[in-house]
Amino acid sequence: MLGIVIGISSVILITSVGQGAVAYITDQLNILGASYFRIAPGQNAFSQVATSANPLTTEDAQAIQDAGINNLNLVAPLAISTATVTTKDEKTRTTIRGVPPELLEILNPKIIYGEFISDSHNQSREKVAVIGVELAEELFGQDTNPVGESVRVDTTRYRVIGVSEATNALTGNIFNSNVLIPINSLITYVTGTDELFQITVSVHDDTLLQETIDDVEFFLRDYRDIEDGEDADFFVQSFEETLTTIQTVTGLLILIVAAISAISLVVGGVGVMNIMLVTVTERTKEIGLLKAIGAKQNDILIQFLFEAITLSGVGGIIGIILGVSGAFIVSKFAGIPFVVSPISVVLAVSVSSLVGILFGLYPARRAARLSPIDALRYE
Amino acid sequence: MSTKPLIKLSDITKTYFSPGGNYQALKGINLSVDPGEFVAIMGPSGSGKSTIMNIIGALDTPTTGTYKLKNKNISNYTPDQLSEIRNKEIGFIFQSFNLLPRTTVLANVEKPMVYADIPSVERKRRAMEVLKLVGLESKADNLSNHISGGQIQRVAVARALIMNPSILLADEPTGNLDSKTAYEIMDFISDLNSRGNTVILITHEDDIAEYAKRIVRLKDGLVESDTTNKQRKHAV
Repeated sequence: MLGIVIGISSVILITSVGQGAVAYITDQLNILGASYFRIAPGQNAFSQVATSANPLTTEDAQAIQDAGINNLNLVAPLAISTATVTTKDEKTRTTIRGVPPELLEILNPKIIYGEFISDSHNQSREKVAVIGVELAEELFGQDTNPVGESVRVDTTRYRVIGVSEATNALTGNIFNSNVLIPINSLITYVTGTDELFQITVSVHDDTLLQETIDDVEFFLRDYRDIEDGEDADFFVQSFEETLTTIQTVTGLLILIVAAISAISLVVGGVGVMNIMLVTVTERTKEIGLLKAIGAKQNDILIQFLFEAITLSGVGGIIGIILGVSGAFIVSKFAGIPFVVSPISVVLAVSVSSLVGILFGLYPARRAARLSPIDALRYE
Repeated sequence: MSTKPLIKLSDITKTYFSPGGNYQALKGINLSVDPGEFVAIMGPSGSGKSTIMNIIGALDTPTTGTYKLKNKNISNYTPDQLSEIRNKEIGFIFQSFNLLPRTTVLANVEKPMVYADIPSVERKRRAMEVLKLVGLESKADNLSNHISGGQIQRVAVARALIMNPSILLADEPTGNLDSKTAYEIMDFISDLNSRGNTVILITHEDDIAEYAKRIVRLKDGLVESDTTNKQRKHAV
């Protein structure tokens, strides 16, 4: 029965959490309107880190900006570094992002205090910083306005001009816990190179997003002298693609869990069969008595089959309860919607009953076919 | 007494086949029982009395010979047909393990009617009637393992009577009881016989067999003697 409990609960847990995650991300994308995409060095998201051979630079960003691509709205080059951030009392290590003023319009963070980085900050490489709300709390304490205070990024002193907060989870890291400084300042004072982490591009009309992506990709291949048929040394990723990736991963996860569950259901089924065989043996005399007073083979068969289904059904119900409450707890902690698909519950109930029938059949038939005298004489 | 026998066994043999050698338990039994009789079948162990009781009770079929119950030859019935015969024609009272555990007295008495597809209201009405007859209507809702040995046998009698069978077949019904309770049960069975029920009693105890009107003694798979019991113990 434990096998059935595990099998059913894991199926329900994973399908629920998976669907919750997909629902959550779809929801997030609806907020964003999916009107932007990103270009990053490397061939895909996994090889992005090790690509200093052919980096994207501010030149590439400028070229895209100047290419006159239809539907293109804003181009925001982003650079990144890690540094120790120090205030009078606190010290922490975090990600420093060099950002252009356009990022405000593209990713739409909330500015709690002060202002965002402006064009003139960037042009004149000012030492100003916008810090994420969580980092601000860490450095300056809760509910304090740090605008006008200063922070040291490694050895350079920056003036805090604003505090930002993310409006969706996809940008939570950037706007809640990082230090944002003008990209030109980052290049000048921190990294010393114009290599970019990525270029974020927004479009006017998000229904034409894919066409714009294709245009940008075509332009950039040409600009970077990549031959036809050759793999690009950059990749373009829209957030719809991210969603597809997540759905693929979720689907795969569900498949793996389904396989594991199938195994534990078979184990559970064999368990049910064993319990039923023991029951039939223990109750041989009872079966003899029932036959003596007129039970036919089918009467006995149905009685024991029913008991097997009850046994596995109870396992199934415990599994459903565990799975649903597990999904509830996970959704609560992960901050994703609590979704229980009725299909997975119906499936769980029918699968566990089926296991009962399948694995109860053999013991029940054995009981039904006992000869009444042998059964009565059994000690 | 009716001229038509209720039970007619003709040249019944029963051989148990086993790899270690075959064993012939019955070697040609001829026996007729008329309606309303009270027959005790006696014999030492190995005489074949359990085998003959299994055949009379439609729990088993003979190897050769014919068994006619109410003029129907049931010697070659299938297991399910025999189940129906047991359900409708035979009321069993066993030595032990008569009642279903974890089940109420009422449900035990009702059980044969479940297999006969009798509706539940009617089942309950008839079961309560028979429980009243055996004096246990107050115990109807007790679990079968919460009543005494004598009460268990009386519930068994009630269940045996519930389908109004042709034969009450009692296999050592007093074997597990003290002698006082044993005599009470036997008095009760005698009483049922005097009201017209045919009773066949399997026993090895002489004082229990004394209740019967006719005593059949078996020895080595054959009928040794078949006599009318003259010193019959009478029901109270």
